[in-house]
Amino acid sequence: MSYYSDHYDVIVIGGALAGLSSALMLAEKGHKVLVLERHNLPGGIATSFVRGGIEIEAALHEMMSIGEKDNRLKVGKFFDDMGIDIDWLKVPEAYHASLPGLEVTLHPGFETFAKEVDAAVPGTYDKVLKVLNLCHTVFDSVNELSIHPMSKAKMLMNHEAFVKTAGYSTKEVLDTFDLPKKALDLLAPYWIYVGSGFSELPFTIYAVLMADYVGYGSFIPHKFSHEMSLKMAERAEEMGVQIEYRQHVDKILVRDGKVYGVRTSRGDEIHSDYVISSSYPNNVYTHMIEPASEVPKKAIKMVNGRRLSLTAFSVILILDKSAEELGIKDYSVFRGDTMDTDKCYEELAGLGPYHYITCICHNLANPDATPEGTCSYSITTLPRVDGWKTVKAEDYDKVKHRVANQLIEYMNDYLGFDLRDHILECVIETPMTISHYTDAWNGCIYGYAHTMDDHIVARLQTAEEEKFIEGLEFSGAHQISGDGMGPAVTNGRKAAKNVLDDMQRKGATA
Amino acid sequence: MKIKGFLKDVGGASRVTQKRLDAFSNASDIPEMIDPIGEVKRQWHPDTLKLVVTDIREASKTAKTIRFEREDGEKLPFFYAGQYISLAFNMDGHIVCRPYSISSAPFEARANKPFVEITVRRSKGDGWISDYINDELKVGTHIMGNMGLGQFYYEPLRDAKNIVALAGGVGITPFVSMAKEIARGTMDANLTILFGSVSSDDIILKEELDKLSGERVRVVHVLSGDDPDWKGERGFLSAELIQKYSEGDCSYFICGPQVMYKFLHEEVAKLDVPDRRIRFEVFGQAKDITKFPGYPKEMSDKTFELSVMRGIKKDVIPAKACESIVTACERAGIILLTDCRSGECGFCRTKVIRGDYYVCPENDGRRAADKDFNYVHACSAYPLGDMTIKIPIV
Repeated sequence: MSYYSDHYDVIVIGGALAGLSSALMLAEKGHKVLVLERHNLPGGIATSFVRGGIEIEAALHEMMSIGEKDNRLKVGKFFDDMGIDIDWLKVPEAYHASLPGLEVTLHPGFETFAKEVDAAVPGTYDKVLKVLNLCHTVFDSVNELSIHPMSKAKMLMNHEAFVKTAGYSTKEVLDTFDLPKKALDLLAPYWIYVGSGFSELPFTIYAVLMADYVGYGSFIPHKFSHEMSLKMAERAEEMGVQIEYRQHVDKILVRDGKVYGVRTSRGDEIHSDYVISSSYPNNVYTHMIEPASEVPKKAIKMVNGRRLSLTAFSVILILDKSAEELGIKDYSVFRGDTMDTDKCYEELAGLGPYHYITCICHNLANPDATPEGTCSYSITTLPRVDGWKTVKAEDYDKVKHRVANQLIEYMNDYLGFDLRDHILECVIETPMTISHYTDAWNGCIYGYAHTMDDHIVARLQTAEEEKFIEGLEFSGAHQISGDGMGPAVTNGRKAAKNVLDDMQRKGATA
Repeated sequence: MKIKGFLKDVGGASRVTQKRLDAFSNASDIPEMIDPIGEVKRQWHPDTLKLVVTDIREASKTAKTIRFEREDGEKLPFFYAGQYISLAFNMDGHIVCRPYSISSAPFEARANKPFVEITVRRSKGDGWISDYINDELKVGTHIMGNMGLGQFYYEPLRDAKNIVALAGGVGITPFVSMAKEIARGTMDANLTILFGSVSSDDIILKEELDKLSGERVRVVHVLSGDDPDWKGERGFLSAELIQKYSEGDCSYFICGPQVMYKFLHEEVAKLDVPDRRIRFEVFGQAKDITKFPGYPKEMSDKTFELSVMRGIKKDVIPAKACESIVTACERAGIILLTDCRSGECGFCRTKVIRGDYYVCPENDGRRAADKDFNYVHACSAYPLGDMTIKIPIV
């Protein structure tokens, strides 16, 4: 007897948030779905691991688009609708910004946030609130238009702010508010979660980011992101999805421009008319399509015409004292020598030293995160893949430790003590670590950079023209909504919707 | 509202769409095949290695050192001194995995004639594979392996530069690897090894250790047997002895047989050092699970039905209450690959669909959510009734 059925309605490559979201949505419509995941557990980087008996979050800083129980945003609502009950904990603040001349803690809620900025930079309340309100207007439009597309004329009438800001970078739009530099600095720290400097970053993306995070706050699952990934996988299996771990898909099988299945590296050939790939288009079009002659030149040009976004470097520490004992007060700290995001972005192309850093102490949102008398502290920078592509295997350990020490020293200055005197456990996650566990192309976790050349509005407009192989869809950070765990869910749902629409179209014509 | 002017403002969407299409049409149509970050990853963590035994030699009168090379003679992966290799033995068609600390050094895995070595002591009847290695394994045998695994290595960010190794018997192996790397000058640490053996005529890897002793590597032999001519340290690795050989800020690395762990847990607790300075290598598969707290002893001689799902395929096999789920699968010829066999690494993470089980408390390295949803690490879980599990297809 074989391990697989003769045929599946859809095969999903990759059991991380995007792939599982696709699987859940397809299973809900009664389709027979197979998920093949190369690792031995779901979630990709939305996972945790255990070191010295202590469970450690691998990647999640804060999850956007969740919302409070009585006012869910789209991702939170999706989990609720799917019957996935996650024990969400609210992150107490937006962030603490530690910037030249500024030490400010900001909290979610537009008015609160604007007041706190005003307290640090007097006289800016109205303008900051205006920026945030504009962000929210654009955010509402994006959410509505992604469900109900409409004509350009109607769009201009009903979604004026969205239409009129779509063609501009974040810098261009923020400049029109004439805010003092320090206030602008306090509005900038989240930029890293979308990964482009403000002169390249579409304002649309900035607006969605700020409205979501600042307007509604962020959340983390009580039992780390593995709780979320596992509950999604468990629910999917309950709904009839077959998930197979440690199965690496080698090839996507194509005949006459149409997908007919996949082959795993152990040699199983499994058939389906639809494949949703979480593997990057870069990998799919260069290595996975069989035969390679089925890859049109246009697909290669598309891949080559886009810029890979950020990867991650984290020093994750378990410290031998509680956050309180060590004087760690904030869940999330952004620390930088400058808040000129373009300069930060430039620096991220290298191998350090890095001067724009995010730190998370999970215990301050989740007191159970580590055993009593200890706490977790992670220091993260999100470099571009460019610098890390030049590292040779024999130098890897040296580079890894050099960067880890630099990040620690950078935070020691802020904390006022040496973190190295308190390390119970430490894990250094690098782009290579991400590549090892997820096989993401170049260890990239952010998909393609959000730029004015690769704008979300344009991605939506040209989506149809980028389908090169019938039956092949993609889901993951490399898709329309881009990076982040919230957008991963949205990207996964979109891929499933594309498959469902296609099935319906074919059903209608059959 | 106005950003720059009505026409420019409303034309934004078309403008960015055109920009994107232009970027594509200006791009090269030559596929970029290489993922350099993935290449580095493959040199550190390649897929399963195909190895061949190229040398077997005595490491003491009860232990042997086995040298492996890659079938294709290529370099072995980078690893950290102290890590282990998991080998998959083919025992009459049954695939059985075992972890062994690597006794050779990382630089030897990258040398011109690259190799990796393990040192294995013949057991007194309870080590099927260690006896096989000592008595039957031949040069030329082909074997599959995964390396470098595990967390038992010097991490300069965390550990003190002065390492005091507390080794018992064959637990010396990771420290031989470290000593080699330090003696060569490629690991920046000072190593004092307190090495407990029973008698002077059965000290594992003694010659190699003697050769490695020098400025930064010191070996202190401690004998527990009554050897009339022995002039060195005697007894066990007591707190007093450990204190005697500790200088300044030290990290203690401990590796040895399970009986030694209980003793050393108590001894290191007497030292005035913080927890972060004490690192135990994993415990290893429990020798006798019935001796652990909470194990229902009345079950120990029972045998249950274990249904094993792989994909949509189901097999039903017998499983003894006193043996791990992995052992039951290995006995039945069902491949369930493991790495650490100590519940730590999670490589054998398995879903329990139905049935009761016991998890060895010493080896419970599961995630919290996994516990909630009845996932076990099969190497440290024992059936307490008929069970259904799902494992990966191999």
